Amino acid sequence: MPELMEKLIARLPLDFRVLYSQFLMRVIDLETLSIQADVVGFLGQFAGVLFMLSLLHSLVTYIGYLTFSVPAERLAWGWHMEHYLIATMMLVIGTFTVVSWDATFPDRRDVMILSPLPVAPRTILLAKISASAAVMGLAILTLNAASGLILPALLGAQPGPAWGFFQSFPAWWFTLIAASAFLYFSILTIQGFTALLLPRRIFLRLSAFLQLAAFGLFLGVYFVQPSLTDPVSMADPASQWILASSPSYWFFALFNRLNGSLPAQFAWIATRAWIGLGVAVLGAASSLLLCYLHTMKKTVEEPDLVPGAGGFHWTPSFGNSLQTAIALFSIRSLARSRQHRVAFAFYLAFVFGLAFSLLRGELATPAPAPVSMDFLISTFLMMFFAVAGLRTVFSLPISLTANWVLRTTQLRPSENYVAATRRSLLVLAVVPVWLMALGLSLRFRPIQHVAIHLAILALLGWLLVEICLIGFYKVPFTCSYLPGKANIQLIFWGFVIVMIAFVIPCAEFELSALGVPFKVVFMLCFLGAAVWALWILNGYRAESAVIYFEEIPDQVITTLGLTT
Amino acid sequence: MLELHNVSKRFSGIPAVDDVSFCARPGEVTGYLGPNGSGKSTTMKMITGLIEKSAGHIFFEGKPIEGNLIAYKRRMGYVPEEPYLYTHLSGTEYLTMVAQLRDLPAKQSSERIDGMLRLFSLHGDRHASISGYSKGMRQKVLLIAALMHNPQLILLDEPFSGLDVASSLVLRSLIQELARRGKVVLFSSHELDTVERICNRVVILHHGKLVADDSIERLRSLMELPTLEQIFSQLAVEQDTDSMARQIANLIHA
Repeated sequence: MPELMEKLIARLPLDFRVLYSQFLMRVIDLETLSIQADVVGFLGQFAGVLFMLSLLHSLVTYIGYLTFSVPAERLAWGWHMEHYLIATMMLVIGTFTVVSWDATFPDRRDVMILSPLPVAPRTILLAKISASAAVMGLAILTLNAASGLILPALLGAQPGPAWGFFQSFPAWWFTLIAASAFLYFSILTIQGFTALLLPRRIFLRLSAFLQLAAFGLFLGVYFVQPSLTDPVSMADPASQWILASSPSYWFFALFNRLNGSLPAQFAWIATRAWIGLGVAVLGAASSLLLCYLHTMKKTVEEPDLVPGAGGFHWTPSFGNSLQTAIALFSIRSLARSRQHRVAFAFYLAFVFGLAFSLLRGELATPAPAPVSMDFLISTFLMMFFAVAGLRTVFSLPISLTANWVLRTTQLRPSENYVAATRRSLLVLAVVPVWLMALGLSLRFRPIQHVAIHLAILALLGWLLVEICLIGFYKVPFTCSYLPGKANIQLIFWGFVIVMIAFVIPCAEFELSALGVPFKVVFMLCFLGAAVWALWILNGYRAESAVIYFEEIPDQVITTLGLTT
Repeated sequence: MLELHNVSKRFSGIPAVDDVSFCARPGEVTGYLGPNGSGKSTTMKMITGLIEKSAGHIFFEGKPIEGNLIAYKRRMGYVPEEPYLYTHLSGTEYLTMVAQLRDLPAKQSSERIDGMLRLFSLHGDRHASISGYSKGMRQKVLLIAALMHNPQLILLDEPFSGLDVASSLVLRSLIQELARRGKVVLFSSHELDTVERICNRVVILHHGKLVADDSIERLRSLMELPTLEQIFSQLAVEQDTDSMARQIANLIHA
């Protein structure tokens, strides 16, 4: 079989094979995920996490199947799992399209390098699409490797389990592929037509916002949309607009239509899936075609120098000149570098989506709600991941070759640089999250409890900043990093552990303490003392530290083991 | 005065700069010449403190530069060989950041940046992203960043790279004017005509070793050659250039 594959691959044109392997390396923006030239490592981690999720989904599906024996309950459970798995698949593909934003369209570098070479535009196009499809296929396959067998087997339609499996198995996989293709092609359509209709410099600016907006939309829909997976709630007139506008419900209905288990009254929802898929495929095909015929030329013709925004240029102060320089550099790097922005959004979007889904009930009610576990957990999570995410993004360099200027102008002691980095973390992570929590807190009562929580949140944010600064003797966005540092599995399980082992007990303790003045004073004093102690420690250690611009690999201890 | 005494730099044991000694005096422009890979930029980086030397000593105004590196860096301006900049910033943002890192007073630095951007014809594009700047424009940003704090020691590594004719003429005069005002100027270039016009003395490096260190006039008379180009060819060019050109042409026709 491998020999056959090799023979088949060898029959493909050489230019296609070369371009495909190059584009495959660039489908996932490696800089974004801080893995340098380790595509196999990244894809392995990516596939590992998705496969674990698949096993987890299978387990939950199987337990649910055993738990619900009444046919109506089992049907509701089955529908709920089907919709959940389709929505999760769409979220994964949506995240993939965000991370691989612009990967399918040739950028200026591609055009400048490939245009003078005798390579046909269709070869470039096919190589780009094949590379994206390969990674997307891997995602679909691994996320559904286990659940894609278990779910059709357990929840197959009538008549009889065996026949049900043979009907529902292809229906399920077709639905997953169709839902993924719909999302991917929709994004391509939007990108392609925006690039075509707008002047390139405006498109480039807008593209960055579109990317973040798409990510926010995918997560917002995933976490916030209600579960309408039983015939009664689906028939509710108030739910009709959700069913009409949510693609995950369209494809959920499509699966049940193909499976023969969709009541006739909901057939219109499945029809929307077909229409949506058709529009997305046509849109993507025409935008790709037009792009390769027209936009590639436009890319070459674009002027090199784009005038900057005229008018008002405000330069706020963030302390002394060094603190201001580093804070402004951090803000500008985060705002203008696509890779860094996406990496930060990657951290924020999941946790903010989760936080808002926790607060959905409280925010929906007109009257203020009492301070709850959900409110405390969501604000803690937002603060934790904003600080941790920013600290991680600070470690990704923006331009290593330009760092010489920081080295030749390093005129102040190291502790001043650590203080400047602290200021940047506070300005960019703690203050925005705290202000967001302040906005959310308007929906909660009593005021005293809210005020205490906001004080605790501010101290917690500062404490997290001090923890992040331990050993961090770098200027944000300047230090090189070692290959293979981004460990997706570590991030995934880190999130689970933080959630279970830290945030929930802290929130429980705080909720129980809010009405007890002694406990409140204790919490505030404890956090204040911890912040103060770490602040002193970081300052003391920074005095003898050296600001570094390159990560040094850990010493590898090797022994020959010749002695006995 | 900038003095290098027996300075060497080895990368994995291979010498890039080997036992180099010379002086660059205030009021003079010292040309630092050598073929590609001869160790010029490595020397410059050692003088700036960007890389550590393997052996030898570097003194500025009689003191070793490592003694008080911060005070030394305050008095040094450096234009690197390649115009590497943070291209996501605009010209003004980059220069303001450098001024802040150098702790220059805000008002003074703002006036200097604005004035120099006008003189270097960059004022109209000062808010545009550096990513769109041409090589010459980037070079001008580097020059402004290197000079705006009025340094005593000016290190210029290929400063004419990418500049148009008018800007090159301005820079040529500027280097001489700065030297007349008592600055120490060490200037590395491949443009031998320019070096011959503006430098008081030249230091020539070949395979990391010093092969000449004298005034241009004296080198001319010692070697009995009329131009710096011929002196340089004799000291630092090994190949027969015409023969090499023929070989390349033959190879691509083969």
